[in-house]
Amino acid sequence: MDTLGTTQRANIHAPGQHAPKRHVIGGSAVAREVTQRVMQALDGAAAHSGRTPDDVLVETLYHRQQRLADPNCGPNADQERERIKELRRAFAHARAGSRSSLVEQVVNDYAAEIAGHFDPRVYGFATSVIPSALAALLHGGKPSTHLFDVDERILLEGEVSALQRAARQGTVVLVPTHVSNLDSLVLGYAIYRLGLPPFAYGAGLNLFSNPVIGFFMRHLGAFTVDRTKLDPLYLATVKEYASVLLEQSQHMLFFPGGTRSRSGAVESHLKLGFLGRVVSAYVNRHIASSQSRPMFVVPCTLSYPLVLEAESLIEQYLSKRGGPHFVDVRDELEEPTRWLSFLRGLGSLDVEVHVRFGQPLDPFGNLIDEHGVSRDTHGRALDATRYVQADGVVVRDAARDAEYTRSLSEQLLSAYKHEAVALPSSVLAFALFSCLHRRFPRLDLFHLLRVLGPTASVSLAELDPEIDRLLVALERLAASCQIQLAPELRSGGRSAVLEHGVATLTEYHRPAVLRRSAAAIEVTQPSLLLYYRNHLEGYGLPGAIELPQARERNAGWGST
Amino acid sequence: MSHSLRVAVLGAGNWGVALAHVVACNGHHVQLWTRDAQQAEEINAEHRSERQQPGLAIAPGVHACVGLADAIEHADVLFIVVPSQAFRDVCRSLAPLARPDHAAVSCAKGLETRTHLRMTQVLMQETCIRQVGVLSGPNIANEIAQGQPAGTVIATRFPRVASAVTRALSCRRLRVFESSDVCGVELLGALKNVLAIGAGMAEQLAVGDNAKALLVTRGLSEMMRIVLAVGAEPATTAGLAGIGDLMVTCASPLSRNHRLGAALARGESLAAALRQIGMVAEGVYASRSACELAGRYDIEIPVFAHIDKVLHENMPVGEALDALMGLPTGHDLPHFARGPLTR
Repeated sequence: MDTLGTTQRANIHAPGQHAPKRHVIGGSAVAREVTQRVMQALDGAAAHSGRTPDDVLVETLYHRQQRLADPNCGPNADQERERIKELRRAFAHARAGSRSSLVEQVVNDYAAEIAGHFDPRVYGFATSVIPSALAALLHGGKPSTHLFDVDERILLEGEVSALQRAARQGTVVLVPTHVSNLDSLVLGYAIYRLGLPPFAYGAGLNLFSNPVIGFFMRHLGAFTVDRTKLDPLYLATVKEYASVLLEQSQHMLFFPGGTRSRSGAVESHLKLGFLGRVVSAYVNRHIASSQSRPMFVVPCTLSYPLVLEAESLIEQYLSKRGGPHFVDVRDELEEPTRWLSFLRGLGSLDVEVHVRFGQPLDPFGNLIDEHGVSRDTHGRALDATRYVQADGVVVRDAARDAEYTRSLSEQLLSAYKHEAVALPSSVLAFALFSCLHRRFPRLDLFHLLRVLGPTASVSLAELDPEIDRLLVALERLAASCQIQLAPELRSGGRSAVLEHGVATLTEYHRPAVLRRSAAAIEVTQPSLLLYYRNHLEGYGLPGAIELPQARERNAGWGST
Repeated sequence: MSHSLRVAVLGAGNWGVALAHVVACNGHHVQLWTRDAQQAEEINAEHRSERQQPGLAIAPGVHACVGLADAIEHADVLFIVVPSQAFRDVCRSLAPLARPDHAAVSCAKGLETRTHLRMTQVLMQETCIRQVGVLSGPNIANEIAQGQPAGTVIATRFPRVASAVTRALSCRRLRVFESSDVCGVELLGALKNVLAIGAGMAEQLAVGDNAKALLVTRGLSEMMRIVLAVGAEPATTAGLAGIGDLMVTCASPLSRNHRLGAALARGESLAAALRQIGMVAEGVYASRSACELAGRYDIEIPVFAHIDKVLHENMPVGEALDALMGLPTGHDLPHFARGPLTR
């Protein structure tokens, strides 16, 4: 096990060493299977609830029309309008008995839309160009004497060999934290670089809107998930799609947080929908065959010193928590020049993205050993299939599995905290924010940000001891493996925080997050400072603030 | 399913013996684990356990054993009936024998002192068992053993556990209710012990029934705040594990916590009062946990805090009561519990 936070380069394969062996991802066969299962589930539910195909169609039409009413419903609105019109027409003319086939048609269309465009021939090409494409992006396409090495900027750390072993022994479900839209690209690179076979991946439609990232997404095993579609039939189809892939032993990647962290903090809550498919696929596989390949869940954290869309993320966080109106802001990923300049900024700086893999778990949250066998907290081997047995037979039990999923999500949250990497930029931001907050201890976050205004200065005399305190606390946490420290923090201490942290936070963002003078640091973007400090939120560090959430404060005997 | 359940009751104190007896009366196989070989012999040979349940003719279906492996080897459901501060040790002994398909039910009402963890959390930390539940409610062991009418609540997120416990315990004399709020039921079971100490103090000071009701009801409101803060269901407070258990514990002058409160109000030290009771009083630990949780979640719990000061900071009981009466008042009900007319 690697506990030092150093890259395990020895375990990383040369590009192209491993060709994908199974090509389950996507395709019409999967879509057909998905359609069949969704229809079976509808029939099963109809037996209890009495819902007819008419009810299902009416609900679908309602949701699809509602979606179109929203100006942010995404591309192809005209096409969708036409489809709805056709569906309405077909619905009106269909005989009562044949409406079930209309539902099937809708599900089939959804499944076809979701299905990935995976092609093993293109996969080979796409993966081989990732490093050079990334390198070219980072250099602005200009020839450079100092050839950029992606390996030096994207560090693959933690339980790398355990992940590789798990992928050989069984089916891996990789569940990373979600920071940025670039995560998909970084993880696609990591999967390729570690010599792993392709992973199926549910990607938001917005990723496909960017021509370059969309290209990689399509050919790296991504299937589309349109978050603007709230039709229960669509959601059931997406989830069933994931189930079918898992049951066919397809490695899969998804973000259990559901969306990018708006606050900048490591996830503290996970969505259980997709995660729940892990246990149900495990059960289905064991019902189908007692010799089923094992399934492993591998947590993974992404720690960026700079985040492409930090401004819009923190703005969304603050507007959502701070007031009744949600301000929809731009998506930086749709601005090609923006993310190009981000990548170049990352390239010109001496900064590294840490991709850290945690220990593989079984679907019930137990650690597994090198043979893929589940172990209890005392390291004793256990037969995990017994979790889903009753009287010695594997049985389906949705309530039981929901609870297992909840408990797995707690394990993942804990792994995220332990595997997150504290970076100089987050430490500097945390210390600066603590100094500023101390001046107005009674103010809540929103008032504080308002009072700080466009600039606020913190003297080094005030900042230095704050950083020292923070580093002591972080080292204590790292000693008990409750967080990881970036190597520069271990070796350089406070001077590394100031040097690397200031350099990082003055690059890329315009205006810069802060400016440094001889004896002070001037914070010019307090909201962004908040975003970067939040990476260390939730560890009980000195200077912690209360991130806003709805809660009642009680006082005295009575309640106010 | 018509076949009998195979049940292991781990812990043969007065509640363990009572539970084993009820389960066996319902026609199920019971292995009752005890560390005391003499007690095991007494139960198996004479169907009695005079120290724990004087006068009770224990159902012949109860088989006592001193080996943990013997107790759980063929069991489907385990009831763990040991004091909360011994719970982790028992779980550690259980760990090498536990199986993933075991269902386990905590019957302890307390939180772990150092970690403030609930018993099901301790159980899941120490063993591979995930299908867990907690049994709680107004359950005086002796009354249940004697077959007097009572109700209890099984809180679990696993339908299999709920149905097994219901099958094992339910009869015309003991009604079993279900809940999915494991966290709320466990917390309430631990916290009410603190209020029982307070009720004992009020009783001893003879400040009147109004004062006792005031103390207990405001304490109940604080329990609800804690339950809400940790993410459990505040409505659980109104159930058997909340107000039900609180009523029986605070009303009964025989309860250990109640007696402890009375001894403290007579001016005895905590150590002397505990010696006098000679048994575990869970409220002594639970008051520390309550204050720790209140600090963690930034909520105010003046009743609990003052009882804690009496227990652990030598604050005289009269002074604590006086301080409580001087606190500012506000709305009677917490905001979340108010209806449209009072909101």
